Amino acid sequence: MVAGAFRWLALRGSASLLLLCSAGCIASNVVAPDERMVVEPLAERVFEPAPTRQLEGLFESCDIQGDAAVSLRKIYYLFSPDGTYTAAALAEVAGKFSFQTLDGIWQNDAAGLVLDGGDPVVLEQSGDYLRLVAPGGLVVLVRKELL
Amino acid sequence: MTGKLLQVIGVIAVLGLVAGSIAGFGVLKDRIRVVIEADDTDLGPDPTALLRDDVQVLAGNLTGLQQAVASNFEQLANGLESGAEARHVDVKELQRSVSQLRGQLRQSDSVLAQLQAKVDALQAMQAQVVRAVPVAPEQEQSGNNVEAPVVEVPVATVADPVADPVAEPVVEPVIAPAAAKPKRGFLSFSVPSTRLAFDQPQEYQLLPKLCRVGFDAKSTLHDFTGVTSAVTGRFRADFDDGDGLCQGEVIASAGTLKTGVEDRDTNMWEHLDSKNHPQIRFAIERFQAAANGVDVAKRTATGEVVGKMTIRGKTLVLRVPVKIEVDPQQRVVIKGQAKLKLSDYGVPVPSQLGVINMEDEVVVWLALRGRAQAEAVK
Repeated sequence: MVAGAFRWLALRGSASLLLLCSAGCIASNVVAPDERMVVEPLAERVFEPAPTRQLEGLFESCDIQGDAAVSLRKIYYLFSPDGTYTAAALAEVAGKFSFQTLDGIWQNDAAGLVLDGGDPVVLEQSGDYLRLVAPGGLVVLVRKELL
Repeated sequence: MTGKLLQVIGVIAVLGLVAGSIAGFGVLKDRIRVVIEADDTDLGPDPTALLRDDVQVLAGNLTGLQQAVASNFEQLANGLESGAEARHVDVKELQRSVSQLRGQLRQSDSVLAQLQAKVDALQAMQAQVVRAVPVAPEQEQSGNNVEAPVVEVPVATVADPVADPVAEPVVEPVIAPAAAKPKRGFLSFSVPSTRLAFDQPQEYQLLPKLCRVGFDAKSTLHDFTGVTSAVTGRFRADFDDGDGLCQGEVIASAGTLKTGVEDRDTNMWEHLDSKNHPQIRFAIERFQAAANGVDVAKRTATGEVVGKMTIRGKTLVLRVPVKIEVDPQQRVVIKGQAKLKLSDYGVPVPSQLGVINMEDEVVVWLALRGRAQAEAVK
């Protein structure tokens, strides 16, 4: 009787000890309050000026900031090395979505990227990413393959 | 003789009468009082009674006037009230009309933007055609009339008006460079001038990929967090509204909460009875801004979101202190947390062999991003 009770206590103690040890191996995964928001990967990407970059290929927006972001949901640019481009923007106005399309010319130099003879905008690059900073907002584009 | 005697007697009698009169007056002069009274038959109405009657008439008139004034005031009040109601209705109708006009204006803006985009595209195409088909000088000189879409832009060279005031500007026709006309808008796109209206009632849609909700729990050995991104919901809010307009719902999938340890997750889902109660819902009822907690210019707000939290089928009121802001992408960002006890919601508090115990109280937190619906921006 006594031996049985002793065995039960020993078994329970061992199990508890094993449980404590196993639990102690589990690292805490508490998320700090500052890290609760979903982090958008572009936030940590470093961009640098691209005054001589020759634009070519298809680019799709992956981030739009500023007042333009209220209505613009997506932007596509297809730059050609001959200095022309075609582009489309998906805009949401008054609850309706519509594409705007453009065809024009581009020029990139130290002053920035000039689209259709307008005011230059800041062009920056980071690998396959381009960042255009204009007075009305900011757009980050990523290169896409034309399949 | 007799005549003379009679004269003497007469004189003596007259003198006696005069003397008697004087003596009598001397005796009675202090006892005589002369009272002049009007004739009783000429008496008029009693002035006191007349005055009383006048007062009564005036009192009656005053009472009538008072009643009339009260009646008139009542009519005036009724008139004003009905007028105010009518004006209120008019104002409401006016607001509706303005709202409809705004909607039409937005649609017009949209149409205008599309037209502008098409015009810009046409101009760009025209410019490309001009550049692609250069005009040879020989052709111009020989008069060979090529139907190339040459765009000529007058460039005026104005002579110095001081040196030669009569000189006229010399206009030279030149071939315009391609796409000479700069396009307006954002990166050549026609973007309506909209801005997220932080202080207007508007509808927000949560962006599930950018939302997370979770809880922080404490146990005997270590603390842990359960989190899920399977969050949906929408709400209507005016963060600067004094009545705390904020209504909607945030829904998290209970069966997608994860703590990083599979066994613990399975155990947690069982405790939450996620099969029978797959959703954790927070029904938002109002936003109670803190004192000076709303900054419309910076588009930030702090306060409490008051709503009803439903876990495992049990619903309780929960107040969640939150901080609200607008991110660069023009999305509304809501961060907040609140403490609650699992036992209040009928969730069994996990315990393993009575050795490793989880605390009953946990911190639930929200990290949400929502996009304002387009019709609500201004």
